[in-house]
Amino acid sequence: MLINWLLIGVGITATVVLLFRDWRLTIPALLLNYITLALFSAEQQFIASDVDLFGGISTLVMVKMITGLAVTSILSITALTFSREYGLENLDEFGLAELRRAARTAQRQQASQPFHLNDYVMPFWAGVLALFASTSLPYVYAIAPTPAADFAWYWLVFTGVLTIATASDLLKIGLGLLLCTSGIDILYTAVVSTVKEGGLNVIPLVLLSQFHILLALAIAYLCGLLYGRLKTLELNELYKQ
Amino acid sequence: MLYLLLVLFPISMAASAFVLRKKSGLVIFMALGAVLAEMLIAAQIPLDNPSLFLGVTLTLNTLNRMFMLLFLAIGGFAFVGAWNLPHGESFVPIGLLLLSQVCAVLLLQNPFISTLLLALSGLTAVLVMVDLPTDTIRLVGTQAIAAALKYMVMMVIAAILMYIAFVLATIFRIGELPGRIPLSRFILALLAASFSLRLAIIPFHAWLSDLVEHAEPLVAALVITLLNMSSLLVLLVSFQTFPTLLTDNEGPLRMMRYGAMISALIGAGMALGPGSLRRTIAYLILYDCGMVFYGLSSVSSIGLAGAVFGALNQTLAVLLILVSLALVERPDGRAPGVVRRDLLRRWPVAGTGLLAGGLTLIGIPPLSGAMGRLLIYQAAVENGWPELLVLLAATVLALLALIRIANERLLGPSEDKVTPDPLMLGETELDRPAPRQLAPEPRSTAALTLILMLICLTVGLYPGPLLTTIDGAIRELAFIRAL
Repeated sequence: MLINWLLIGVGITATVVLLFRDWRLTIPALLLNYITLALFSAEQQFIASDVDLFGGISTLVMVKMITGLAVTSILSITALTFSREYGLENLDEFGLAELRRAARTAQRQQASQPFHLNDYVMPFWAGVLALFASTSLPYVYAIAPTPAADFAWYWLVFTGVLTIATASDLLKIGLGLLLCTSGIDILYTAVVSTVKEGGLNVIPLVLLSQFHILLALAIAYLCGLLYGRLKTLELNELYKQ
Repeated sequence: MLYLLLVLFPISMAASAFVLRKKSGLVIFMALGAVLAEMLIAAQIPLDNPSLFLGVTLTLNTLNRMFMLLFLAIGGFAFVGAWNLPHGESFVPIGLLLLSQVCAVLLLQNPFISTLLLALSGLTAVLVMVDLPTDTIRLVGTQAIAAALKYMVMMVIAAILMYIAFVLATIFRIGELPGRIPLSRFILALLAASFSLRLAIIPFHAWLSDLVEHAEPLVAALVITLLNMSSLLVLLVSFQTFPTLLTDNEGPLRMMRYGAMISALIGAGMALGPGSLRRTIAYLILYDCGMVFYGLSSVSSIGLAGAVFGALNQTLAVLLILVSLALVERPDGRAPGVVRRDLLRRWPVAGTGLLAGGLTLIGIPPLSGAMGRLLIYQAAVENGWPELLVLLAATVLALLALIRIANERLLGPSEDKVTPDPLMLGETELDRPAPRQLAPEPRSTAALTLILMLICLTVGLYPGPLLTTIDGAIRELAFIRAL
């Protein structure tokens, strides 16, 4: 039996995003997910190669890799600069006091939150559910030209949706949305490249990449705003207010 | 060339406006100039004259031109409103970007591109929802962040569902792949879910009520009018591109109609329940979204004409209501933190605008909502009397909700009457402080409200020309002819 290592790479990296909460793990996993997915679409030969690199890949694969790099750079830079304070000079005493109170609450919460295995139980079982659905659906409801491509897009969409459903912080929701978007990206590339009339068009592909980047920017902006306001990205703190 | 100018000119103006965003007045004038230029360009583009750009067809038909001019006018009105009403620092640049994206949606008749443009416009709107005024001393509200997050998640999920539906529709052939759920039914279900999310059909409505409650009214107005209504036009284009989805899907279309009816009924019912002014308005908008979606789901020429007329009416009514709401919520010189019941006396133009906007939204004659609503009722009669009765019940509930808010917040006795105490010994009139003079409504915004009311009334009294245009455009749709 032939093992598709790139598909396994796509699966594992999406699982890391689903299971783990630390951005130092999830953002590199997302980058690897973009890279393996781009290489997977090159390997499946959805698009003819036109760049003489790594034995011949298409420009589209390069574009997908660059998009992944841009997305993860945006998120990484935002995460690295969370501790900086912006726009405090205009705030009045009430605003500053509110920020100090939020910082104290967040600090207390972090101190009282050690590692709990229970936090990973829901995402784990969600992952098992996604695995079951993604392995069976390519045979029950095949859409893409190959079972591997079907598994890839089903897996990405399911892990994305379940990441959103089990997320406890804003960044995780964003990562889930990005995984879903990658899922439809590979579905579009795989399916529309096989259509004889029309086929792949450059504008939807450009817009898809732009959508990835704008989504990352919107997530980064909201994360920055929320962290600046509450000193945490936890959703329960956001809805507690 | 003109097509590209329509899309790219607002983007360049948005970039300039962003650089100058701290000079609010100048930026508003620039934006108004850009909107006027866009309207002139849109009026001059020849109709149904397709042009190919990078393998994608750009064209403008009668219906899309009408909506493009309407959206540009709505954008212009919103910029005029921004002169006096509260808004974020980047409201004008982002408003121009949204206009550019909406123009692109109307010009590009490709479902994949339209989906992505709608998703991009949703992401752009997120930025303006959490925007604060220049040099503010306030912190951004956590509820505004939560509303923006909810909107972003909903819109991205809607885009994903829509995209999957269009990919499936691309490979769909009638009669293929027997023995599993019919693909056309699956595609229609995906489209129904995604457009329900975008059009805020209950139970996918949470983003709209939060948006109206926690974002600035002008921002909510732009999002609801421009983005929701352009989604509706994209749904029409989808039916036009994939007419086979409608031919053998009587059952799913009936379900869509039922969903729309329930949405209208629940929306009106929730508006009748106790709630803040903003939340009641949000529920009234939900009721109207349900009615418009019903017209669309009826997939008949009358129902579609009603839906398009209703969509046009919704853009006008929502802008009128939200501009009036922003006016009545202005600090009015009286003690803050008190729920006022005399808003019509304190703000006569804005109070009247709020009432007129509500009546327009509900479809009460002689305002512009009446004609669209009549067509939707007619479409309901074609589908059976019970459906008409449900829609009428929803309208009655919505009207009662409007009467409730009018009674609770607008029509109360004046709270400014101060009975002067008798003069004390040795006190003269000159010793007393001057009587308090409350500031009147800002002229430009009051004029804007009056103009919007006048437009609603004119369209309501003379719906003929608009109706003829809409009816002609609907009858030209291939899927209507096929059905």
